[in-house]
Amino acid sequence: MPLPSFLDEIETRSGVTVSVCYQCCRCTNGCPVAGEMEIVPHRVIGYILSGEREKVLASTSPWKCLQCATCSLRCPNGIDVARVFETLRQISLASGFAAKNDVAHFDDLIIDSVQRHGRFAELETIMRYRLSKGQFMKDAAMGLDMLRKGRIGLSSHNIRGRKELGAIIRRMRGHRDR
Amino acid sequence: MITLSYFPGCSLTSSSSFYDRSLRRVLAFYEVGLRELEDWSCCGAAAAPAMRQELSDVLNARNIAIAEKSGLHLLAPCSACYARTRASALKIAGDRSTRDMVNEALSPMSVKGSLEVRNIIETFLQYVGVEKIAASVAYGIGSMRVVPYYGCLLTRIMGAPSSDDVEDPSGMDVLLDALGAVVVPWQFKTECCGAGSTATDRDRTTRLSGRIMAMAKKAGANAVVTTCPLCQLNLDLTTHARGDLAGIPVLFLTEVFELALFGSTPDSKHHLISMADIEGSVEILGGDSA
Ligand code: SF4
Ligand code: SF4
Repeated sequence: MPLPSFLDEIETRSGVTVSVCYQCCRCTNGCPVAGEMEIVPHRVIGYILSGEREKVLASTSPWKCLQCATCSLRCPNGIDVARVFETLRQISLASGFAAKNDVAHFDDLIIDSVQRHGRFAELETIMRYRLSKGQFMKDAAMGLDMLRKGRIGLSSHNIRGRKELGAIIRRMRGHRDR
Repeated sequence: MITLSYFPGCSLTSSSSFYDRSLRRVLAFYEVGLRELEDWSCCGAAAAPAMRQELSDVLNARNIAIAEKSGLHLLAPCSACYARTRASALKIAGDRSTRDMVNEALSPMSVKGSLEVRNIIETFLQYVGVEKIAASVAYGIGSMRVVPYYGCLLTRIMGAPSSDDVEDPSGMDVLLDALGAVVVPWQFKTECCGAGSTATDRDRTTRLSGRIMAMAKKAGANAVVTTCPLCQLNLDLTTHARGDLAGIPVLFLTEVFELALFGSTPDSKHHLISMADIEGSVEILGGDSA
């Protein structure tokens, strides 16, 4: 049995019909970060159609996406391009392409926090991120100003149902506590 | 008097807790009761669905299950919480396999997806009403020239219809006009502020948010008004990178309500870009002022 094509993989997983794309470029025109993408949105869709799985997954494009959905809104064929980018992140994580990506790493720490507390503990998560990157003094002036004006959540609240929720999250992430 | 269930979300309990307080003061004034969701959890924002769709569905389903028990409509002021919760409720109601999956994961909690979710603009328009708002104004804020900033997620929700125009929303314009502010037209109502990428790529957020602030200045505004805590923080933070933009504060919609209703807000000190000039320009109505 032949492997399912990259197009099938994307369409099944995202629920988005990508094959109706006629490469009009409107998604790219509206994208606020197209300028910093290795592969711009309409080309990402084009490569999905032509089956260039590795090229797309190994690029940083899925991780540059802000999920602002301007592309989805403007596509004349109703293709939810933002959802496709989200799906690319999932596949790229699952197949190891995103191992060293900062955005994936930060997302991981956010979910760690929700797993432990039931909520996103701002300060703790940002500190963990900075420590892991060795960025101790990065944006110190900004951090101080935020601290002074009460714009950093210092304490973290533990929800009562955190044990149950934590167990569900742990199971869904497919690994034990690290 | 109407009561809503209330999902403040993580931002409104930490970096934007003053937004939570402002919102409570204003809704209490209009006798809209809020019952905070019992033991709510994080919506997972963009981090959960990037990892696994099911994780995002389950996180949202937990809050939806708690809200559904009350039978009340849910207010979610944070754009991310609002968009995620609303899209998830529709998906749980409409897709059997998602419904079964979340119910199995969360058992003994149970969830149907029947929940009605509202953002703060919809809440003012639907449960208070423009006429009542206009009639309740006690202070003149006509010196405020505001640009309403909606951001991405308030109108562009993946998998859910929007209650406002997606390219040119007007709900907040209507409210600000009723409050007596001068609403300045501009093209950046729904441009992206850089969203959650501040921690990982601050330069990019600065660039995207800086563009929005530069456009507000060019349009001749003296305040930007938003409803999303992440947008507010990203725009407010531009003060640390773009000295040329200093001076235009970024207010939450409920803070503009406070200025028009009470003449001031006790929490203005939490703004990175000072709103002192705006507060100082508020006039007591009656007598000779219009
Ligand atoms: S806007 Fe739609 S049809 Fe046009 S290139 Fe992008 S995905 Fe294809
Ligand atoms: S959702 Fe992503 S790809 Fe689409 S316009 Fe926004 S940043 Fe670009």
